[in-house]
Amino acid sequence: MSGMQHLIFVSPRFAEGPTVGGAETLLKLQAQRAQKLGYEATFLTTCARDHFSWRNELEPGLRRVDGLNVHFFPVDENRDIAAFLRIQESISRNGSYTPEDEQIWLANSVNSSALCDYLRKQENDNAWVIIGPYLFGLTWFAAQVRPDKTLLVPCLHDEGFAYARAIKEMFCKAAGILFNSEPEKELAKKLYGLGEEKCAVVGMGMNPFEVSPSAFAEKHDFHKPYIIYSGRRETGKGTPLLLDYFALFRKRTDLDLKIVFTGSGPIDAPPELEKHILDLGFVPEQDKHEAMAGALAFCHPSVNESFGIVLLEAWLAKTPALVHAQCAVNRYHCQKSNGGLWFDSYPEFEEALLILHNNRPLRDRMGNAGEKYVLREYDWKTIEKKFVSALEQFSKNSLAKPQRSPR
Amino acid sequence: MNSETPAFSIDAEGIDAEKIMAEIKASIADKAARGLYRDMRIAQAERANLVNLGNDENFLKYYIECLRNAVFVDINDFEIREKRRLGAFLLVAFKRIVWNLLKFYTYRLWSQQNQINGLLVTAIESLDAKYRGRIEALERKLAAADKEKNICHKDAQESTK
Repeated sequence: MSGMQHLIFVSPRFAEGPTVGGAETLLKLQAQRAQKLGYEATFLTTCARDHFSWRNELEPGLRRVDGLNVHFFPVDENRDIAAFLRIQESISRNGSYTPEDEQIWLANSVNSSALCDYLRKQENDNAWVIIGPYLFGLTWFAAQVRPDKTLLVPCLHDEGFAYARAIKEMFCKAAGILFNSEPEKELAKKLYGLGEEKCAVVGMGMNPFEVSPSAFAEKHDFHKPYIIYSGRRETGKGTPLLLDYFALFRKRTDLDLKIVFTGSGPIDAPPELEKHILDLGFVPEQDKHEAMAGALAFCHPSVNESFGIVLLEAWLAKTPALVHAQCAVNRYHCQKSNGGLWFDSYPEFEEALLILHNNRPLRDRMGNAGEKYVLREYDWKTIEKKFVSALEQFSKNSLAKPQRSPR
Repeated sequence: MNSETPAFSIDAEGIDAEKIMAEIKASIADKAARGLYRDMRIAQAERANLVNLGNDENFLKYYIECLRNAVFVDINDFEIREKRRLGAFLLVAFKRIVWNLLKFYTYRLWSQQNQINGLLVTAIESLDAKYRGRIEALERKLAAADKEKNICHKDAQESTK
């Protein structure tokens, strides 16, 4: 272990409160764990909370939050949002755009000159700068400050943005990449031709919990069988697909199955389905875990995941999963754990859900298999070992690199 | 209605998700052969999935089959309803009268639209079949050329020894 080695974590938002995504949570937890391991961890972030408006809502300055020193910097307010959106649309659908367009896109994405200036001033500090997720202008510009000391936590998805030349350049320049899963690493190697020595799979530890499978039904007087979805409700997460499939499943099978949602965002359901949906909104962790534990299956229709935190949580609640086959990460988890099934078309969804609905012993066995997998692979001790060994690997790489001779 | 499920055995050693998925696929193939997925609603439910599977050739084939099942719309396949409770009976009766009065015109439109739908799906099917066939032929040629190239390379190596 590296004693008091300094680690600077950078993320456009800091995970505080209900609306922050998985990537921000992951970076915060990694920083907290690193501090417990004896590293000196500092967190740099912006004053924004909302990832659509990027308004400066928090006070700038240094604060101690959840045991971490967090520096909040204002977001630059001179963004040309129209130009950003125009190019973003083209990049997202793998359209035609130039390297200049990419630069305009990055410059008008969320940025903080104050944060990058601060990072520049730390140039003499031998700290690793751990930055993520990959998609934002701030990540790109912060990664340019000290690329030889930059470690990316990209949370990479197979989407249009991942194919931009500037993104490839950022991955290639960074000293190392901390991936959340094997499929994410394989995707990056395929897209950017990265060598194995630059890659490490770390991810995040999961804390086990005990919940009663009947607690949710008792609390909500909800005694019908149900499936559950947890997370943001948006097209990118596949919730419209889930609603369409679920409505058709009910019609074709005549089974009175319900669906429970936890998380944020609107649910745009067909009118005939409304009375079969229980929308809990954003709930405390305990309530979410109870709802998961009582479900027939946890359904995750998203194809863009780099880690799959909620899927792993559902397994800790001993609930089997049903995931989209095109999501390499979730499918990988299901194949490795035997804790879930996958679908890539409606007939597969229908068959898999029928099997889980009709076969209680199978559900129990799959739920238990999922739980064992999470306890084995995502125990914090295991993750901490992976994190420390990744830093050691990247330190060795940087020592092995030929030093530039003075002019 | 379709709530048939195959009988899955859970072996003593544990669960094998891959094996279950293989059995699911076999069961789907069997049901598809029996026409259990000839259901126009499937094409509608797959709309949001197209974006995920646009590059998947098997999905395209499956989606064209879904379209084929959905292409001929039954004009009478809807119920005349009224959401307002007050005077619902009268309103439904009124809507029925309007519907019957407009039948002559709507039936013409419906029949023309069905014809166009049918022609379009047939065109997409033939395009898909044509390009699928061409790609397969090209892949076969490419594989044969690769094989030939390897043989020539080996011969050249042996002759230089």
